Amino acid sequence: MNLQDLVFALERYWAERGCLVHQPWDSEVGAGTMHPETFLRVLGPRPWKVAYVQPSRRPADGRYGENPNRLYKHLQLQVLLKPAPADVQDQYLASLVALGIDPAAHDVRFEEDNWESPTLGAWGIGWQVLLDGQEITQFTYLQQAGGVDLAPVSAELTYGLERIAMYLQDVEDVYKLRWSAERLYGEVRREEEFQLSRYSFELADVDLHRRLFEDGLAEGWRTLGPPGDRSVLAAYEWCLKASHAFNVLDARGALSASERAGMILGIRKLACAVAERYLAPEASAKEARA
Amino acid sequence: MPELLLEVGFEEMPAGWLPGLAEQLRSRLEDAARREHLASSDLEVYWTPRRLVVGGEVAARQADREETVWGPASRLARDASGAWTSAGLGFARKQGVAPEELAEQAKDPAKPEERNLLFVRKTPGRAAPEVLPGVIACVLRGLAFPKRMSWDAWIEDGKGAFPFGRPIRWIVALVDGVVVPFRIHSAADRARGPVLVESGASTRGHRFLPRGRAGVPFEVRSLAELKQRLRDACVLVDPRDREAKIDEGLAAAARRRIADDRGLLVEWRDLVEYPTVLAGTIPREFSSLPPEVLETVLVHHQKYIPLEHDGRPAAAFAAVVNGDGRDGEGIVRGMERVVVARLRDAAFFFDEDRKRPLGDRVADLEGVTFHQGLGSYKDKTDRLVRLVDAMGAGMGLLTRPEHEAAREAARLAKADLTTAMVREFTELQGVMGGIYLQAEGTRWDAVSRAVRWHYHPVSVEESSAPARVLAGFDATVWGAVSLADKLDTLAGYFGIGLVPSGSSDPFGLRRAAQGVVRVLVDFWRVDSAERRPSLRALVGAALAGYGERLRRPVGDVAAELESFLLDRLRYVFVARGFPADEVEAAVGAREPDALEDPHECWLRLQALHRVRSEAREDFEHLAVAFKRAKNILGQGAASAVEAALLSEPAERELHDAVRALAAGQARGSLAEANGGYEGRLRSLARLRGPVDRFFDDVLVMAEDPRIRSNRLGLLTEALAPFYRIADISKLGG
Repeated sequence: MNLQDLVFALERYWAERGCLVHQPWDSEVGAGTMHPETFLRVLGPRPWKVAYVQPSRRPADGRYGENPNRLYKHLQLQVLLKPAPADVQDQYLASLVALGIDPAAHDVRFEEDNWESPTLGAWGIGWQVLLDGQEITQFTYLQQAGGVDLAPVSAELTYGLERIAMYLQDVEDVYKLRWSAERLYGEVRREEEFQLSRYSFELADVDLHRRLFEDGLAEGWRTLGPPGDRSVLAAYEWCLKASHAFNVLDARGALSASERAGMILGIRKLACAVAERYLAPEASAKEARA
Repeated sequence: MPELLLEVGFEEMPAGWLPGLAEQLRSRLEDAARREHLASSDLEVYWTPRRLVVGGEVAARQADREETVWGPASRLARDASGAWTSAGLGFARKQGVAPEELAEQAKDPAKPEERNLLFVRKTPGRAAPEVLPGVIACVLRGLAFPKRMSWDAWIEDGKGAFPFGRPIRWIVALVDGVVVPFRIHSAADRARGPVLVESGASTRGHRFLPRGRAGVPFEVRSLAELKQRLRDACVLVDPRDREAKIDEGLAAAARRRIADDRGLLVEWRDLVEYPTVLAGTIPREFSSLPPEVLETVLVHHQKYIPLEHDGRPAAAFAAVVNGDGRDGEGIVRGMERVVVARLRDAAFFFDEDRKRPLGDRVADLEGVTFHQGLGSYKDKTDRLVRLVDAMGAGMGLLTRPEHEAAREAARLAKADLTTAMVREFTELQGVMGGIYLQAEGTRWDAVSRAVRWHYHPVSVEESSAPARVLAGFDATVWGAVSLADKLDTLAGYFGIGLVPSGSSDPFGLRRAAQGVVRVLVDFWRVDSAERRPSLRALVGAALAGYGERLRRPVGDVAAELESFLLDRLRYVFVARGFPADEVEAAVGAREPDALEDPHECWLRLQALHRVRSEAREDFEHLAVAFKRAKNILGQGAASAVEAALLSEPAERELHDAVRALAAGQARGSLAEANGGYEGRLRSLARLRGPVDRFFDDVLVMAEDPRIRSNRLGLLTEALAPFYRIADISKLGG
């Protein structure tokens, strides 16, 4: 199964189970959880089911296209089920079967791994799903987002698409993955990996990114009006932009540990304020109408 | 008695929690049943990652109970005419009965005329199935998890929201095959919603086995049937069965006995419902990686057990899978691929890291925070060097060459925190520093050894690391760095008020303090008394290293840290199996006290333990006498003993005995006086008779102040030699 067929199969599978199939968020994020379709939708009581591919940038993991397992940007397929259905594990396992993985013929294991994002004030309880020792999915019952206790609890399934594809195609080098019948992953992405790695390790202007970080947070706070004035999405976008600037600075090795901790806290404060405003009754009412 | 069977089925619970949860389930069920007047017996518990099972006998019904409630005195409950007063009526109303239903009786049989109103409340026992739902709710609600999660569940026990370790998906609750009703609701809008889980007789087998008919729930009636049918459905619910199957598999896979499983076997057992052992190999290209790195990847990251293969250590591995292993080859290929990917990373880090000498990295520690309030690891490194200097030049604990080596090791100890390998595999901190130094060809082996092991010791047993590694080496260089690191950490955190409390110890300070204690008790020149460090002086030096950074008065911090260290000393001794009272006695000795010389305290404790077990009765008497003596000594001033003032035979006898003992010990060899605690204790134990008679026959607090202070002086003198070994008054019976 090539990479795009894998995406089609998972999207179809979850669409058949009532998920809206959404598109990636169109600015840089480190994980599918940061997409507003997850971060904001998990807040409050309204049910929601969504699936989407999210290219996720981790500048510090860039390897110039040379490491067969590490990528500056990898693809996550994110599924959010709110509230978490009682048979969510079975639904997940059936999705593997849909990919042609027979769990009885493999070692499929749910091993404790609690997910946490200090920048988003978010955490959850769950597992990494191991397929013959390889982590293929992060399975999380989200407990908090933006510092807010979540009720109902959502189930978040994050499939690591490259890893699953490598497994299915039995290749040891991500760049040798078959993306489509005609193209290899390397043909599509290796140059991008090289250039973006080079940028984040060598070229990125540290002073500019410090400013982008500061300005991003400042603009987020400035934008974030009183509850109900329908500004949370714009403010949250600035929160994500600041977060990406921070990741670039981190990859660049420009941050001392205490500076790092301070910046994480800065992003978290804005993320928590966004979550709080999003939940304010006036805001919910308006956004429900919108 | 009828059989109770309870199976709680859930999504995969963390392996490490399960044995503790099973034990809690057993004891909480017993307790809750007893509180509900239901006797239970022979409860057995079993577990897998997806279920906790408890079964055993339980009474068919509660015993009928009678509760006696006393009311007001009869003379107040009725007036002179015999009519009920408001007091009498009030009591009846409170009990919910007519006054005529109350009895009258004397509370005290010796005073039959003083009668009171009496109500005997009779509660007929209810049948077990009626009572058990409440018991189950109470037991499940009470299970303590290291971390709980909300899963939008609700139970009707008055407390509502029902967090648990992982979501519960089924419950089997039966008494003699009949379902005990129990419901978990979903919480809708923080109130009771529709039923989520309802108890029944239906259990579930392995998720994927047996092939073709997995996942179909089936009904059971008893514990025996549950165990058997689960076995048929590829679930070994008894952890011992899983252990046996793993042992069998390992024996077949490894072709040789595995000496050290790194504690993985227990975890393996509780990660799976149906264990099968598989073995894979590691390509030869990785044989140049240090074995520690191979093991870290295998053990910590993949939970595989390294195996020797083709004469190379860790050239193969064993893994447990949750299945029948019929497609083992494909599974193993997947596992090998993961291991290779990780080892490739490690090999890359190993090559990159060695492009710079470790010493060059010390300056980079500026950018690694030790703690917000305590500066960077560069600051810590500077303090470690100064602390080692204090041990060497200041306290004279190190020879010149030792000092030089320890100083170098302290400077380099933290440098590996900036290496790619340690950033990726943090558990290799220290280890990589040692390996890189050795590869560089450091001037002294002692330096790389000290860096390699300075995070140790981490456990309390005498034989634990680095005992074996250091055997045959002088442990002083390592000891100095290990002590400096831990004391600096303790001094810093205590100095900014981050002191462990209750079960919360996020910075591992208890372990650090135990490490300090262990270096001094077990490793530091244990055979020579004069160059052993004073823990008190070390604490002072470590605190001095922080200067202005401390946020609290240095005297307060020192006192708090010293008592914390003494507590950990006690903990280490008790963990080694010594009775708490003997530990208290040994820690209470003086000159030198336990803070001055923990190793001396350890010798005293062992001597006390042996001699006391020979002469238990003598020590019981001495302990009583010591307690009395302590009380009395607090009541007046003692003077130097004047023999002429001793009049009673018993006090003259005690005086002679004390003097004879002192003379005997003065004649003893120096070695005897230094370490021969057993001999000294044995002869001191002989004071028991004279001391007993002294207290029986002599009035210490005599009228005559001269005689009184003379007798107090004699007691002081009798007690003094004990105090150099143990505070005998701390011993119990």
